Amino acid sequence: MGRYARLFTLLCKLSLMRQMAYRPHFFLMVFGKVIRMVLLLLFFQAVFLKVDRLGQWTFDQVLLLFATFHLVDYIMSITFQRNLSYGLPALIQSGNLDSRIILPIHPLFMASLENIDMMDFISFIPCLGLLIYALHRLGFAFTWLQAVMYGLLIANALVFLFAVVLIIATISFWTTRSTGLARVFDDLTRVGRYPLDIFEGFWKFFFIYVLPLALISQMPSQALLGALSSGFLFYALACSVLLAVIAVRFWRTGLKNYSSTSS
Amino acid sequence: MMRKALSIFRLAFMERSAYRVNFILEISGGILSILIVVFLWLAVYRSSGRAELGGYSLAEMITYLLGGGLINSFLLTTAENPETSQAIQDGALSNMLIQPITPYWVWLLRDLAAKAFFGTIGLAGYAIVSLFLSERLIFLFDPLRLILFGVALAAAVVLQFLTFESLNLLAFWVENTYGFRFTLRVIMEVAGGAIIPLSFFPGQLQTVFALLPFPYLVYFPMRIYLNKIEFAEILPELVRAAAWMAGLTGLNVILWKRGLRRYTSMGD
Repeated sequence: MGRYARLFTLLCKLSLMRQMAYRPHFFLMVFGKVIRMVLLLLFFQAVFLKVDRLGQWTFDQVLLLFATFHLVDYIMSITFQRNLSYGLPALIQSGNLDSRIILPIHPLFMASLENIDMMDFISFIPCLGLLIYALHRLGFAFTWLQAVMYGLLIANALVFLFAVVLIIATISFWTTRSTGLARVFDDLTRVGRYPLDIFEGFWKFFFIYVLPLALISQMPSQALLGALSSGFLFYALACSVLLAVIAVRFWRTGLKNYSSTSS
Repeated sequence: MMRKALSIFRLAFMERSAYRVNFILEISGGILSILIVVFLWLAVYRSSGRAELGGYSLAEMITYLLGGGLINSFLLTTAENPETSQAIQDGALSNMLIQPITPYWVWLLRDLAAKAFFGTIGLAGYAIVSLFLSERLIFLFDPLRLILFGVALAAAVVLQFLTFESLNLLAFWVENTYGFRFTLRVIMEVAGGAIIPLSFFPGQLQTVFALLPFPYLVYFPMRIYLNKIEFAEILPELVRAAAWMAGLTGLNVILWKRGLRRYTSMGD
């Protein structure tokens, strides 16, 4: 385990060196990402200039949901998302995956963490600030147990997202190209930014039970607000564990199928 | 000249059509994002219990979101012409400079071809979505307004090219222009009115947005489409858009000429 932690630190340092090579570009990107979040917030504010509630959700609660979504989204994009969605298909296509497989570490470790996005890491800090601000507006009205559940469900959301992203990326062992599908999923995850109350009937059912995007940010936020039933808590955990098992098995099958064709 | 231009346009269009499946998926992604926002606004109108918000009825809002989303996703954000900065950075420009057509025109034509390609596919996707939402959509039949909408759209396409091209040309001076383009795109989407009509924002912000060229990209054409702007006001706005175009063209010319003087290309 210590070896992986050391390796992870090294990968962070390497990524920082690589991304800092163009320093003005680095800071401009961070600036752009922060601006994007601020503008999205303005958008929500504009919405709430017209209504007091979105379904059951007040502005402060939506703020918490928004911050939670971006928290999860940032952790995902700092670590595994681009590595798996775009890096892995490229490695498979070029045959460069060979050099990663022969390393004396788990192949999934390298495939998902080779490039750590330090730009997103820096942009992540204001996002934490936003979360604290949202909690402040809500008067920090939660118990320790609710806070622990919140943390647990965020970790759970990351497991879920990792599993889905891994499944999509693994498809490229057969098709060598799955970036289009990855992009569709990227766009779909944005559903998590809004309270699910905006959907009615079928779509609400769909995003809870078929493609449970509700567990990205909605369920953690509800847990913190004390509005999540224990049934949903277990459901969320079971969903992620099951999907993670399927994803890892699928990955193993894909890896066996890897033919290492390169130019 | 016309023949050259046409063949560059045709080639670029064909290049884009090469990766069809991936494109269809990416387009589905774009349409999905628009639909999610439509759902959001349906809920906002439901929650408010009012028939009109910020001067927009529900049907007008949905038409605005779909139309604005279409313009934004398929005409504006897909074509940023990164080829320009790439050619300057990797030296491919040297080869282009000895060809019998100015590289700048090649880039413009390739950009227009990309927009035509994405625009066509976007329209197809939009047609499918419209089938489901047809009862909630507003269609424009007034021929004069349709023409003006077309003119405003053409102005938007050109304005977007000129704005991003001036950032691309910075590649003569800086190593990487993506950061500039990314930041501008983020601002453009909001200040252009691609996400919601600008009238929804607080007054001060609206004043700031009005000082920028971005409202001509989505907000202005959609206002023409939705009858939210009187005929008498359209012409002065078009003149202002033209002034922006002239200014940005001037900036492009200066950057291009000065940049070329600085340009060095190393062989390997």
